Amino acid sequence: MNWKQTGRASRSLLRISMAEGLQYRASAISGVFVSVFWGIIECVLFTVFYTYSDNGWNNNGLSLEQTISYVWLGQALFLFQRMNIDGELMDKINNGNVGIDLCRPLDLYTHWFVKSSAAKLGTSWIRSVATIGVGLLLPAGYALGAPESPAGFLCFLMSVSMAFILCSAYAMLVTAIRLNVTWGDGPTYILLLVSGILSGTYLPLRLWPDELQTFLYLQPFGGFADIPIQLYVGSLEPASALPGIGLQLMWSMIFIVAGRIIMNRKLHTIIVQGG
Amino acid sequence: MQIELRDIRKSFKVYKRPEGKFGLLRGAFMRNVQQVEALGGISFDIAAGELVGYIGPNGAGKSTSVKIMSGILTPDSGECRIMGRVPWKERQRHVSRIGVVFGQRSQLWWDVPVEDSFDVLKDIYGIAPGDYRSRLAELTATLDVESLLRTPVRQLSLGQRMRCELVAALLHRPQILFLDEPTIGLDAVSKLALRSFLKEENRKHGVTMLLTTHDMDDIEALCERVMVIGHGQLLYDGRLAGLQEKYAPEVTLKVNTDAMIAAMYSDLALT
Repeated sequence: MNWKQTGRASRSLLRISMAEGLQYRASAISGVFVSVFWGIIECVLFTVFYTYSDNGWNNNGLSLEQTISYVWLGQALFLFQRMNIDGELMDKINNGNVGIDLCRPLDLYTHWFVKSSAAKLGTSWIRSVATIGVGLLLPAGYALGAPESPAGFLCFLMSVSMAFILCSAYAMLVTAIRLNVTWGDGPTYILLLVSGILSGTYLPLRLWPDELQTFLYLQPFGGFADIPIQLYVGSLEPASALPGIGLQLMWSMIFIVAGRIIMNRKLHTIIVQGG
Repeated sequence: MQIELRDIRKSFKVYKRPEGKFGLLRGAFMRNVQQVEALGGISFDIAAGELVGYIGPNGAGKSTSVKIMSGILTPDSGECRIMGRVPWKERQRHVSRIGVVFGQRSQLWWDVPVEDSFDVLKDIYGIAPGDYRSRLAELTATLDVESLLRTPVRQLSLGQRMRCELVAALLHRPQILFLDEPTIGLDAVSKLALRSFLKEENRKHGVTMLLTTHDMDDIEALCERVMVIGHGQLLYDGRLAGLQEKYAPEVTLKVNTDAMIAAMYSDLALT
């Protein structure tokens, strides 16, 4: 593979996808409303649980302030996750336009990885930043708090970038599986929903039962949101950042290798649909 | 020879619902798989600089063979060498030397100006900036699309888009161009413009072209040589005049309808 040219092509694809994403400003604004709405509901719920539970509820050392910050960051990072396969890729799989992409001197996996990540980033970054902005502006009690420590914040930023790669790698694995056109959308939605639940964006992973904690730490989807957010709120010390980010990296590589293998295998037999 | 195909075969699996009263129900549990032969041993050679028409009824295997030659599909058996390479084995290097235009599909990004799509293609094919500028200027001038470069693709008419597709397919100076129904749905003026452009490109740069179409005027205007394919077999390979001698021996006078309509459009200042 020609790395230099692949890099340049990737940058170019990123730029055009961002430009495409910016066309949908109305959708970004309405998206912010949804995120903020959910954020506030979750804040209210957690406040109720923390304040009125008998003999303190089993929160695994996650304080209410930390949980509130977790909620806002969770809403922002949630946008890295896919709710479905990238629309452009899905169209290509369904109607055979994958042929056009195969006529490009690029590795198809790399091509699609960049395309779908860029499309995701193009549409979601405004929404993420705006959600965090609203979280910061809310009255104390419901507001996103400051990071635990500068070191923790730095680790958070690194872990967030890794989270984006991990989410994209997983989305590509799901896309590769979706190349089995006759399977339909069912398996895709199951896979994406499971990953979303296990990422902690619905319920912080610390608040799950004790017996599950080891599993929850080692499973791949905590790297989507839980690991970076815990580094921010300080329930993971900066000292545990390295193993955490290492875990994200390991799962990213596993997803990338698996996605490539499945995609390459499907490519040999792929039936390019339509005349 | 630039393109060599030897005994290329390809069959597809087709799923058929069982017949009968409970066919729908039974089909949910067991499927009848049928092998359908799309190509039953095709062989031909095309020399560099040739302009070949490739015709045949729907489902004859035209698209399948074009897909094999562009490296998208792997045949079941047979040999194919294009510029010395086996397309599906060295796909990436192969496709950097060919251009493909599918009349029914677009290779441009839908929501952004045409120019942005060309920029991405420049980086994908690794075209040097100087070469890119001169080539783009040349192509946009001959196809008359300079004024469209800042327009989003979704706002182009079909004729305008098709011309931009051609620019996109030829930016990296491919040696071979595969055209799959490039004139489908185009009006007479656009058709004529497209044809004369293709002819010129072939003459000036010696680009080999293989043209699939159902519009016989395309073939008549462009191709000396035609290949006819049916049921996955090559049925005729030779000059267009040869077909005429065999199937339409008596000479008939025919109005060139495309030219007539084009003249009318320009007379009424519609274009």
